[in-house]
Amino acid sequence: MSKNVIRFITILAVFFCLLWAAGLGWAVKEYYAGKPDQAPQRTKVVTKTENQKGLTIVALGDSLTRGTGDETGKGYVGDLVDEIKQKTKRPVQLTNLGINGQRSDQLKKQVQQMEVQRQLEKADVILLTIGGNDLFRGGQGLIDFQSGDIAAIEKKYLNNLKFIFQQIRKHNDHANVFFIGLYNPFSEMDQGKEMSKVIRHWNYDSAEVSAAFPKIVFVPTFDLFELKVNDYLYSDKFHPNTKGYRLIAERVASLLTW
Amino acid sequence: MNKLIQNEMMKLVAKKRLLVIALIIGVLVILFTYAQYKQVQTQREKLGTSDWRTILQQQIVDTTNRLSSSRISDEWKKQLQISLQQQQYYLDHDINPAEPGAPTFMRIFLENSIDLFIPLMVMVIASDLVSSEHSLGTVKLLLTRPVKRWKVLLSKYITLCLAVSLIIAIAGFLSYAISGVVFGYKGWGAPILTGFNVTDEGLNTSQVKLLSLWKFLLMDFGLVWFVAIVVGTLSFMLSVLIRSTAAGMGVMLAALISGAILNNMISSWESAKYFFMVNLRLTDYMKGTAPPIEGMTLAFSMLVLLVWWLAALCVSFIVFTKKDVY
Repeated sequence: MSKNVIRFITILAVFFCLLWAAGLGWAVKEYYAGKPDQAPQRTKVVTKTENQKGLTIVALGDSLTRGTGDETGKGYVGDLVDEIKQKTKRPVQLTNLGINGQRSDQLKKQVQQMEVQRQLEKADVILLTIGGNDLFRGGQGLIDFQSGDIAAIEKKYLNNLKFIFQQIRKHNDHANVFFIGLYNPFSEMDQGKEMSKVIRHWNYDSAEVSAAFPKIVFVPTFDLFELKVNDYLYSDKFHPNTKGYRLIAERVASLLTW
Repeated sequence: MNKLIQNEMMKLVAKKRLLVIALIIGVLVILFTYAQYKQVQTQREKLGTSDWRTILQQQIVDTTNRLSSSRISDEWKKQLQISLQQQQYYLDHDINPAEPGAPTFMRIFLENSIDLFIPLMVMVIASDLVSSEHSLGTVKLLLTRPVKRWKVLLSKYITLCLAVSLIIAIAGFLSYAISGVVFGYKGWGAPILTGFNVTDEGLNTSQVKLLSLWKFLLMDFGLVWFVAIVVGTLSFMLSVLIRSTAAGMGVMLAALISGAILNNMISSWESAKYFFMVNLRLTDYMKGTAPPIEGMTLAFSMLVLLVWWLAALCVSFIVFTKKDVY
């Protein structure tokens, strides 16, 4: 081994040693330097329309959009996308923004997020499920559904829904919006009849709000679950199971046009 | 002194250890590059888009859904929440947290190798620096020279520091050169955010700064180097204390691996934060992820490491100068 090679390696090593030490010093200084000189700015994204040929689907809402209860994990959104893929040759892009347990006031906040709005702008089809958690509140609604509270809750919900639709139409005036209505998971329970009444009323008002906007279609699911509800429910007796989601997906699929 | 270091460097180069290390790093980088490439591919297939904003938005929603599950532990929940807020911040400011390219790959590689992989590579060199002289019997030749013992040891230690610097340079170079073939060599100027503060309430973003990736990388390298030096010094001490190289390596290996395991489960055992091995992930502070134990900061971790480093150095020198050699 020649002396020069050794010397070269040594010098190289010393150089890197100093460089890394400098990096370390800088890291500590940066980490503890007080105020940032330039705070990052919120920037408005310039929308690029990509996926021109394809079909862009955006799904918003609660656990139904998420597919909770479906053993395959797809939910009605996944089933629907599968169906569309079979029928058309166009590539389908799905963005599922559903969040478990989401209520209408939370969705109202979500649609005001910049990136969500950008997604909405790109969408060709928008799917929406909301309201179930407003009404049922994780079982709480079962106890006090007779009291006057329901009216107040519904009023708030309808206002939120209106706002959500306004936001959607503001950012996207061409997409078809399918708003999935509520079904009654409790219809075979003691107070199922009274509950059904509340839900029918709820659905009616939701449909009224939808009708005020162009291309927003209210999709009823109440009738789908009316007979043999337990065949279509997951073991939590609240969310649909694989078969239940399949029913919803088929109904939405029959409404699609392109 | 210069001669001594030259001599040690010659031994190091003659042993071809650096080449072996370069080879190991090279093979691993190829594996990781392929894995990363596959991951990007499947993600693109699944979401039908390569737009990072859509992917990030989807990740945010997925994390939110995981948070709503009641089956996850509180600590894990908190970590998820912090990474969620961070992702949202990136999205709101239109900055891609993982700009595709070799520099980003290098950053991720460094961040993931700081607590185990790089220390292991350093150990390969450090753990037999002194003990091999014993096992080969050359220690007598070395010590019968008219040079003070501490000078001999110091020359060995300086050589170790130089070798550590070289290992990190090799890791950086190879990860850049190899991953660039797949991801492209551009992206040094990509913006990255640092200065996220993890507090009790969640993530504090008032101190967030925008940096170019190359600056961030240089800082990462500095932190990795610091960790490597500390781990190197500890194995150096073991190499002085324990005559058998294998035993010294075993002890160090056990410590490092226990650190990796402890990191995942010690959040309730607070005094564990004084172990050196849970403080190795310094780059996480730059990135702004939640520390394994509450209250750990960059200064704290560096101080702990410095204390361990100083202790190891003192022990090495005292033992080596006092030890009987036969």
